[in-house]
Amino acid sequence: MRIFVTSLGIISPIGENASQTLAALETSACGLAPLSLFASSVDPPLPSGEIRSHLPGDVPRTHSLALIAAREAMAGIVAPPDAIVLGVTTGGMPASELLLKNNDPDPEKFRYHGTGTVAHYLADALGCHGPVLTVSTACSSGMVALKIAVELLKSGKARRVLAGGADGLCRLTYYGFNSLQLVDPAGARPFDKDRRGMSVGEGAAMLVLEATAYPPAGALAEVLAVGLTCDAYHPAAPHPDGAGAEHAMRKALAGAGCAAADIDYINLHGTGTPDNDRAEARALQALFSTLPLPAASSVKGALGHTLGAAGAINAAVSVLCIVHGLLPANTGCRVPDPGLQLLPLSSPRREPVSTVLSNAFGFGGNNASILLGKPAATAAPVQIKNRSTAFAVLGSSCLTGAGDCAQTLAALRDGAGISGMAPAKAIMAGLNESAVRRLKRLPRMALSLAIAAHSNSGSAETPDSVFFGTGWGGLSETHDFLSRLFSTEERFTSPTDFIGSVHNAPAGQVAMHFQAKGANITLTDGDYAFEQALFSAGLIAHETPGTVMVIAADEYHEKLTPLFDASAAGAPTFSDGGCGLLLQPTDAAMGLRIAPLFLSNDPDSDLTMHSLMLALGGAEAIGKKYGAVFAGIPAASRDKGRQQLALFIKAAGCDCPVIDYRKVTGEFASASAVAAALAVDCVRRGELPAGLNQAVPASLHSRGILLLGLGRCITAVEISG
Amino acid sequence: MMEGEMDKLINELKVKIIDTLNLTSVEPAGIDAEALLVGGELGLDSIDVLELVMMIEKDYGLRIDNKELGIRVFASLKALAEYIHQNRPETQP
Repeated sequence: MRIFVTSLGIISPIGENASQTLAALETSACGLAPLSLFASSVDPPLPSGEIRSHLPGDVPRTHSLALIAAREAMAGIVAPPDAIVLGVTTGGMPASELLLKNNDPDPEKFRYHGTGTVAHYLADALGCHGPVLTVSTACSSGMVALKIAVELLKSGKARRVLAGGADGLCRLTYYGFNSLQLVDPAGARPFDKDRRGMSVGEGAAMLVLEATAYPPAGALAEVLAVGLTCDAYHPAAPHPDGAGAEHAMRKALAGAGCAAADIDYINLHGTGTPDNDRAEARALQALFSTLPLPAASSVKGALGHTLGAAGAINAAVSVLCIVHGLLPANTGCRVPDPGLQLLPLSSPRREPVSTVLSNAFGFGGNNASILLGKPAATAAPVQIKNRSTAFAVLGSSCLTGAGDCAQTLAALRDGAGISGMAPAKAIMAGLNESAVRRLKRLPRMALSLAIAAHSNSGSAETPDSVFFGTGWGGLSETHDFLSRLFSTEERFTSPTDFIGSVHNAPAGQVAMHFQAKGANITLTDGDYAFEQALFSAGLIAHETPGTVMVIAADEYHEKLTPLFDASAAGAPTFSDGGCGLLLQPTDAAMGLRIAPLFLSNDPDSDLTMHSLMLALGGAEAIGKKYGAVFAGIPAASRDKGRQQLALFIKAAGCDCPVIDYRKVTGEFASASAVAAALAVDCVRRGELPAGLNQAVPASLHSRGILLLGLGRCITAVEISG
Repeated sequence: MMEGEMDKLINELKVKIIDTLNLTSVEPAGIDAEALLVGGELGLDSIDVLELVMMIEKDYGLRIDNKELGIRVFASLKALAEYIHQNRPETQP
């Protein structure tokens, strides 16, 4: 079994499909021009990678761009993809920021705000009913999405996956990067001696990936491997020696069984910022050591830095290089920086290439490298391994309106409520005030949860990889950044809030705290972000021998939550919280375990219920395995969720207690994460506390708990002991 | 500028720095105007510098948009105060 790119779609400032992009790369066309999309308070407007043609206005730009690339990729393919994995950082922000600027109070207008809505928009348009996952790891998002897609294919859970990245230009990123003094007023000139920064851009690239034994007819390229690492060094700056970047490239080579000398061309991340380019050049020096560097170039001087799309665009450009034997120029670089010992291609070159390495790095120290090869090239075949995606639970923590885990459990035993906002005292319990002075509510919660889960595991070992789920990301940072921007006629912002506004900022903090240098992935999708994080951890965490930290959290924000989260908006109490789980991949069928079992984007089909029953082993197995069902029914889809639950109970012949846990935890996107932490404790103790079971404690009769997510998606997670 | 005015500006900046950077455990009196501002005892780094750049542009109308100038201006609180005094558009009497 090997993974092939069988089709692709791409839209960027240099072309609105693959053939236009190729033509632009052949002539070294530059798509950068002074911003015209909105009035810029920076005068003259900064050179930007803006897509000039008209995009339909009924959805945010990110959604439109993603769909254009997805349609091109899926052209001629009749069956919908089995799964969609999309990397996005801005989501609906291009539309939302304007609504916020105008103080528009109508939540209905924010329905496309969530980062996860882009992938669901694609799924609806293409009829995809399988897993729909959204990755938000800043500027590596698009390439991390490809990694998840590859692992999804290798696990046998999908045969054809549509994966990539998309981001639309918006004020948040335009002013945000400028406030960090990371934008070159002359336009990006990666690796040039006078480079002063990037140019913010927009675009999308989608790749169709298929798992087959031999190259299918028309295969464009083979995905040999993707390597992921985290610098665990700084929230926004790369490690000065590019240590994490080097390690990501080494991981990709090792995964493919290749050596550095096998690489014909390197498609660089090369944003044009002084630090980024230096770190990447140093990483390459370390990787190649005494070997000569192969031809290398960054396309960001031509199309700008397309953020969440960049990793997917780089991968798509690399595929075009392989197919057409074209190595693009490093547009913008006139005099290469003599300090970098890297001479990027000054003009396009025509020559056959078999193996291409491509990079994408982002805030939070997130590094991704993909190795792509010509389909004819021989590579070690990859066997489908029916690996268990179960984890041993080494430690767990939660934050609820009642406080930390112990306080929450005490409240539940006493029959008291646990809804409400997590008290500041509980959040700060394991944190040092001055060490977290720049962190607002969500990163503090995430860090607190991770530290508590680790400390209650009693393990001396720190986690290697981090998976973080968040429905909405750092709302305080997003709100504060935008409100300061809009209250100063878009002249002043907070660089700290911009860095904190990326969805993966909390996971980056956790990585720095534990020096966790393995994969660091943030998944985000409203009410199902925790399940997506656990599901993705199940696909990837086995790669390294260490432990994995899975965290999910959401904060209540008085202004933004009611606009974004329809379930929370109508709730009687404002609630937030989350959970942390220190996990170890396991094949053993004993001990306290958690396993993601099911994830579907097709809640209304009979087939979904049938598939769910199959995934759980059928009615008899369900009766034997589970002593309780924790059902997550977001208030906004209560009627639909109740129907789904009734169908499940009937199909499973379930007679155990069914806990409608959002009635207890309150309504917030990561409520399912809290339910998971509670389930872990219940299974450990063998009983449900009174507060969870209509005021009566109930025995689980040595059985586990099934955590069902209902509503817009259907998910299943098993906690067993 | 009179000695007293310089002290006034330094004290004003101390309060602004504590407020801008959320240095909740620092008292104005605890900041040494001559000491290293970045990478010193206050634990400030490049992100804090950018945050201060915004504050100085907003409150004093001065733009510090290159690294070399930044290194000079943010060497110490005293250096910052002197830079503001010498360059602010409406120098006080």
